[in-house]
Order: sequence, then C-alpha cells, then structure tokens
Amino acid sequence: MTALRISTVAVLLGTALLATAPVDAHHSAAMFDDTKVVELTGTVKELQWANPHIWLQVIVDDKGKKTEWSIEGGSPNSLSRQGWRATTFKAGDVVTVRFNPMKDGSPGGNFVGAKFMSDGRTIGRWQ
Amino acid sequence: MIRLACATVAVLWLGSQTLGVVPAQAQSPALPDWGGIWAMQGNTVFDRATVQPPTGRAGEPGVREFPPYNDEWEAKYRRNIELVKQGRFPDPVSTCGTLHGFPRIMNVPDVYEFAVTPNATYIIAENGPNVLRVYTDGRKHPAADELWPTYNGASVGRWEGDTLVFTTISLKGSKDEDVIVDRTGLVLSDASRATTRMRKIDEKTIEAQITIEDPKALKAPWSVTKRYVRQAPGTWAWDYACAENNRNPISGTGRTLTLGPDGKPLDKVVD
Repeated sequence: MTALRISTVAVLLGTALLATAPVDAHHSAAMFDDTKVVELTGTVKELQWANPHIWLQVIVDDKGKKTEWSIEGGSPNSLSRQGWRATTFKAGDVVTVRFNPMKDGSPGGNFVGAKFMSDGRTIGRWQ
Repeated sequence: MIRLACATVAVLWLGSQTLGVVPAQAQSPALPDWGGIWAMQGNTVFDRATVQPPTGRAGEPGVREFPPYNDEWEAKYRRNIELVKQGRFPDPVSTCGTLHGFPRIMNVPDVYEFAVTPNATYIIAENGPNVLRVYTDGRKHPAADELWPTYNGASVGRWEGDTLVFTTISLKGSKDEDVIVDRTGLVLSDASRATTRMRKIDEKTIEAQITIEDPKALKAPWSVTKRYVRQAPGTWAWDYACAENNRNPISGTGRTLTLGPDGKPLDKVVD
C-alpha cells in the first residue's frame, strides 16, 4: 500500500474534524497532538479489542519500507454501544485511517476515523 | 375485660384492613425507580459551570475551573496546571490499580447504573470499575477510630421524598498523590467531605448536587451539579478490566507512555 504521508493537506483536514470531541481515555492524552489529524493508508494487522482501549495495528508500506502503526481508540464498551464490533476491522482489511499523531513522530496516534477501501464504508468521525 | 380488649383489637384490625391502613412498622417508603443505564452529561471537567475556556476539556493545556481554593491550594492547582502543560500530570488511574475515588466517581465516562434498595443505594460506574455504597438503613458514620482514609470514603444517607441525601466522609484525597478530581489538575485534601443530593428531575435525567467542604483546601463550600442521561432501553454495561491491555503506563517523571504491540515504548523520550 502507498502511504498518504503526513502532509499539509492532511493536517488541514484536522481543523474541521477537531470540532468534534475526542474519546475519553483513562490516561493523559498529552502524547497526542490534537491540533493535527493525519491520514495513512495501510493494511490491518489486528484489532486489539480489549479494555481500557482498543488498538488498531496497521502496516503501512512506504515505498517498500513497512512500518507498524498503533492507533488507540476508546474502550470496547463505549465503542460497542456506538456500533463497533470486535470484528469491525479484520486482518487484511485495507483502510485509510485518520488520527491525532504522537507529538514526537513515533508511529502511533489517537483514532479519529477510518474508511474501508474495499467498499467505502467509514467509521468514527469522517467528513 | 379480656374479652372486651380482644374485641377492640379485632375491630381496629378490621377497620385498618377496610381503610387500607397498614401498621406503621410495616410501611416501606416508595423508592424511586432509577433503573436502566445512564451516562454522564458532558465531558469529564468536574465543575463545568466555572471551566475556562467554556469548551475546555480536562487534560487540555490551560483549562481550569474555579473552586473556592485558599491561597495554598490555589497555588497547588496552578502547579498541577503547569504540569498538565508539560505533559507530566499523569492520571493516577492509568496504573489500572486504584479507584477514581469520590467525588471523581461521579465524573467518569462510559455508563452508570444506580441500584436503589431499601437499605442502600449503589452507584455503579462501568469505568474503573467503581462502586459507591450509600447506606440508607439508618446507620451513622463509623466512629473516628473505626475509620481510615479511603478512595470513596464512607457514605450514609436518607431519603427525603424522591431525593437521596447522603454525606461522604473519610476520604483520602490527594495525600498520597493517587486521587485527583479531574485531569485539569483539581485535587482535594484528606479533610474533604461532601453532601450529595440526588434525584430524578425527569424521566430521562438524574441530577446530583454535590457540596464539598474541605477546611484544608477550600475557603467556602463548593457546589457542583452533575447530570446523568438515561440511555436507550436494552443498553448494556460491560466489564471494564483496565489491566487487560493497558498500553499507557506512567514513567518515573509523570510522563504517560505509549507502548507498541511488543510492549516496548513507542515514545522517543522515556524518562
């Protein structure tokens, strides 16, 4: 898959998306830059569906260099009440995922939304 | 004489049955129905009436509330606000090992259940999980020598019509730095106590008016109102096993870390 690199376009996307409140966490969110939303396309390795937070592991192939990204979401409890399921993301799904990136550039972030490339379905905040 | 007394009792008993009167000791006051699943209205800023900026969220740099702190505790709050800005004001519950504590238990995300029984009401927060036990069986608070400071303290209460009124004492507050009120940096002392008035204000809303006194930290009582909104019928509450997959431990300097799937920090700086 080709990564949509963290770009000005992607960062500007965040301005509108930020009007929506982020998910409550059991920890400080100081490691995430909530002034930015970035977008990457990759292949789902796994969805860790467990408390206190779900984690979406996505492999992004950038010109042959593969990086595993860890995208943190809400609790499975709250997400299940919003329509998510433990099977919402399956290994092998190709997705574009939007998230607040880690401030230090590490391959992680706070989930905002995702789009399934196979059928265009979206989940989370996606405008 | 005995025959007359028996006849009198019999007449009185029959009369009470006819009139639907039940002897006082058998009466059970009607308790309100707080059944169902509820969620706190709004975000996890504890005192949303005073928060600045008004749209601020707990944990965002520079967001604060205005409890009637004395100078010493206002200075303590400002230090915490500065730590929030530096990303070094960790949430104690990130360890997944301790309770949120009162009054924070009234201010958590996810859902609540309010179990009303004749002798106690249980405030059950899915997040945590946390349970606040409010005894309404007529008992008093334990004697001082039977108490020790705990996260949720000791709560006893009574029903005033449809309103549950309870007092919470013996709170550990922030003395061990493992209890906060919210992530703006709000903390209270181990001298804090509170009186809470809870009632259903309409079919979809339960309101808790919490008045906190803290002779160490506050110049005056601090009143905060929290509301809880009924969720759709059939909504489920679930286990919340915080330690199941906690990938956000706290470093020695109060930085919240992010672990990769291999359990090693993703963060470039780990201190």
